[in-house]
Amino acid sequence: MTNNERKSLSLLHRLWLLGCSLKLAIALASAATLLIMGGSLVMHFNPAIFAGMEKDIMARWLPWAWSQAPLLVAWVPLSGICVLLFAINTLCCLIDWLLKIKARWRKTGEYLIHAGFILLSIAFLWGNISGFRSGPHRIFQGEHLAIPNMTGLSLRLEEFTPQLEPSGRPLDMLNQVSLWDNGTQVAEALVRMNHPLIYNGLVILPTSFGQELDGFKFHMPGRGVIELRTGSRLSISSETNIILHKMLPDARLNDQGRVIQTGSRLNNPAMLISLQGPSGKLWEGWYFLRSPLPRQLREAGIALRPTEPVFKTFSLLTINRDPADKMAAVGAGCITLGVFFALFSFYRKRAQGDRPEV
Amino acid sequence: MSKSLLYLLFSIYATATIGYLLHLIWRRPIIAKGALALIAVGVFLQTGLLAHRWWLAGYLPVTNLFATLFFFSWALALIYLYFELRYRIRATGLFVMLLNLLLLGGALPRDTKISALIPALDTPLFSLHIIFSFIGYAFFAMAFSVGALYLCQSRLHSNRLPDLQTLRRINEEAIFLGFSLFTLCMIAGSIWAHIAWGHWFSWNIKSVWSVLVWMFYAGMCHAKFIRRWQGGVYAWLSIAGFGVVLFTYLGIGLLLESNHPLE
Ligand code: HEM
Repeated sequence: MTNNERKSLSLLHRLWLLGCSLKLAIALASAATLLIMGGSLVMHFNPAIFAGMEKDIMARWLPWAWSQAPLLVAWVPLSGICVLLFAINTLCCLIDWLLKIKARWRKTGEYLIHAGFILLSIAFLWGNISGFRSGPHRIFQGEHLAIPNMTGLSLRLEEFTPQLEPSGRPLDMLNQVSLWDNGTQVAEALVRMNHPLIYNGLVILPTSFGQELDGFKFHMPGRGVIELRTGSRLSISSETNIILHKMLPDARLNDQGRVIQTGSRLNNPAMLISLQGPSGKLWEGWYFLRSPLPRQLREAGIALRPTEPVFKTFSLLTINRDPADKMAAVGAGCITLGVFFALFSFYRKRAQGDRPEV
Repeated sequence: MSKSLLYLLFSIYATATIGYLLHLIWRRPIIAKGALALIAVGVFLQTGLLAHRWWLAGYLPVTNLFATLFFFSWALALIYLYFELRYRIRATGLFVMLLNLLLLGGALPRDTKISALIPALDTPLFSLHIIFSFIGYAFFAMAFSVGALYLCQSRLHSNRLPDLQTLRRINEEAIFLGFSLFTLCMIAGSIWAHIAWGHWFSWNIKSVWSVLVWMFYAGMCHAKFIRRWQGGVYAWLSIAGFGVVLFTYLGIGLLLESNHPLE
């Protein structure tokens, strides 16, 4: 062996010893703890930067946040590096034990806890690099929604029932959904609070729900109350019909004479309707419900008086993907099992005076 | 829950604490035995009250500050009983029960009403998360008391207090048991986060500090192997660790605003 080889070997050996050092572990864990302690306060007092941290994976949030305020964000990569080195340190310790310690079965608990922590660290990193978080996505009953970043995969909301308290406060959201892969149904579930649909790293869960103006109820002399919804047709006589094409909750005419939406709250509703005769469309135009009925309708002998709006409920779903969720689950399982084993071995080790001292 | 029963419980624990103080002065075993019996009665009563509230609510009611303080106090008294029966550490009871009186005293003026469980919390993972968390906290509180006593004893060298070796053993054991239970709390919490929010780690400040608590006590499970840290440094670390626990449990809710369901 040449001198150089001997030197590089001893360097490797020293690196290995450093990797297995408990003192290094304590230094790294303390550095990470202090950085995260400070960071958590920075995070709390700078919501504009850190609010998005929860809504996206690290690989996407961090570059954005760094471009906004590198000094405020620096603690995130720094503590991440400490935790990563700490995980490597734990791995070295684990390997070192496996090679050295004789009465291994007695250390099963510790092995499992340490291995579990390593798996969780890798899973966290992996999930935050190649997963995604998306939503909330607005979806109406009967609609299909393409799953972001996953070509061919789509979600269909079969049925949606919001659950309300007697006071009207939202309680839960029952979403009967099915998941489709290139036209084939691959999963279905009743998605509600604490009961997501989990499929191949995807987690689909309810976030909220809302309502969109879908039409209006009218009083029509001789017919009583009638309902007109978007896409629906109202027959006036055996030959004429009204079709509601579009409904806006708050609209106005702009300078070019075009109707534009000005808000999403019910304020100045307008509907795009057409009057159909036996030979086709007789007229199409906007009807502002606060104004009198358009002349063309009145001339056709139609009398409508708007009474109340008709809404359509939509569900808001969050769709996340964590490709490492199974690895994280195995890590968590290892730690849980390890804790139970370690609880037994702790007292055994004590009784035998087995205390590795540094 | 009737307030008078709560006051009765508080006075039982307070009398036991006074008993331990008198025992420290006069060293009559009968007084220490009386104090221990009172704590046993207190734990029995508190277990009954907790079971009654559980039965009334249909779920483990630990969803507000009163309920968590009450549960924390129960867990601490129970854990003290375990250590007392195992190690006969009488005078230690003074330190632990003083802390317990603070917890129960904090709960006394609060509203005891049980509210309906909101669906977000309606999962066994929530109960497991809370049970493990507060039993873990109670072990850390025990370690804090024993750590404080260790520091007193290392100055006083009094034969009225447990010897340093015993205190060190209890401290290490409390930290290890606390860490184990808190680990289970974190696992239950992560699974819950996964099914409730779609990701198993959340960056909200309470979750971040819970990870810090876990890291700190994981570190303490190893610190006992460092020869120079055994005893004194370890006792100081137990005290500092409990500071982190208190900030996570109370500080974040009282000083900062957090969206964690427990505040
Ligand atoms: C978050 C990471 C870690 C966790 C949760 C963890 C947890 C634990 C637990 C619970 C024990 C059992 C303590 C006892 O029996 O009293 C233990 C023992 C031990 N750990 Fe770790 N540990 C971690 C990282 C590390 C690292 C980085 C090292 C090495 C540098 C290490 C080295 C040891 C050693 C040497 C023991 C003693 C095993 C024995 O009794 O022979 N641990 N660890």
